[in-house]
Amino acid sequence: MTIARKAQAGTIQSSDLMVFVEPAAELVIEIESTVRRQFEHLIRAKIEEVLRRHGVTAGRVRVSDRGALDYAIQARVETALLRGAQE
Amino acid sequence: MVTDILGSADSASARAFIEAQGLAFEPGFDDLVGVFERGALVAVGARERDVLKMLAIAPAERGGGLLGALVTELARRASAAGHDALFVFTKPECVPSFEAMNFSLLASGGRAALLEHGRGLERYLEANRGAVREGANGAVVMNCNPFTLGHRHLVEEAARRVDTLYVFVVREDRSAFSFDVRLRLVREGTRDLQNVRVLDTSRYAVSAVTFPAYFLKRPGDAASIRLDLDLLLFAQRIAPFFHVRRRFFGTEPDCAVTRAYADGMHRVLPAFGIEAVEIARKEARGVAISASRVRAALRDGHVDGLEDIVPETTAAFLRSDEARGVRERLRAGGGRHA
Repeated sequence: MTIARKAQAGTIQSSDLMVFVEPAAELVIEIESTVRRQFEHLIRAKIEEVLRRHGVTAGRVRVSDRGALDYAIQARVETALLRGAQE
Repeated sequence: MVTDILGSADSASARAFIEAQGLAFEPGFDDLVGVFERGALVAVGARERDVLKMLAIAPAERGGGLLGALVTELARRASAAGHDALFVFTKPECVPSFEAMNFSLLASGGRAALLEHGRGLERYLEANRGAVREGANGAVVMNCNPFTLGHRHLVEEAARRVDTLYVFVVREDRSAFSFDVRLRLVREGTRDLQNVRVLDTSRYAVSAVTFPAYFLKRPGDAASIRLDLDLLLFAQRIAPFFHVRRRFFGTEPDCAVTRAYADGMHRVLPAFGIEAVEIARKEARGVAISASRVRAALRDGHVDGLEDIVPETTAAFLRSDEARGVRERLRAGGGRHA
């Protein structure tokens, strides 16, 4: 899957996250989170896992997280990817 | 559900709602949205480009998800409109609510606070760490549209009085000369000055976010609050990072907005241990040199004969093919900085 256009998913409500994706030459993941100090590595690992599963190797993925759990991260990232995707 | 506020009746009640929460209603926005409960407004917020403002929640509804819903919707629209960054103007007591949504504080003082989503300022400073020098340093923030002998005079005078002088060139691209050209002409025109470093302001000084009046001429109370925030951001965040103890600026004879900014420097900066130093404008043929004189000459089709008001580096650019676009735009006429 390729990120062909800007897209977003999610909210900035507590326990959720907002995901922005856009085309880019390389893969860049930017994470803002209220629990960044404790959990940035786990959030990143989850995002990378979803990107890998969809075969996304390039694009800019920005997330603004407020303590979302794994399944929320997965759902939001997937939705953003599908909205911005070109199969 | 967050919906657009359209129509004159709803717009009027939005305005009354915003003012009842102690905020000034500022016309000039791309989106005005709100939440209605049983026909009555309980939350309102607006977006102008990448700036959120006039966010207000009814007292009885605070502490729930309304603010998050408003910001989510406005952030979605800002991103859809192509904006990467997101700023918010709010009251100082609301800062923690925004910090909980991954906004970080840029400046706060008196009745207003400015935050940005994410950590852009931190990244900007980090990217410029290589330019930081110890010492008693100075700073000038200039648009340089384009770089003149007046700017050169100010930079020379300032550089003589400090260890390192940082020249911050306004990044906002709303001037006749593009940011890239303005930055390049400042670099070329100051290359021989050993203790001068030329940097870009990013969005953090004299930008459409921090000081919109400079670009839009929108006088009034709201503009002066933002002017203070621009200077507080400089004094609290930028100056300490670069060890800046003095901020220099040229005497402004004509423009009221620029003069208000100069007054602001005298009023705001000293409390932070920063001296505001005004330097008399250099004159040529009895008139203060200004970039607007250069633009006026170009508008009249005079490319030559500017040697007594611009340095050779700028003059060479003005004569070049590369400047043809600028010359034509100026001749066609434009706005305040055109």
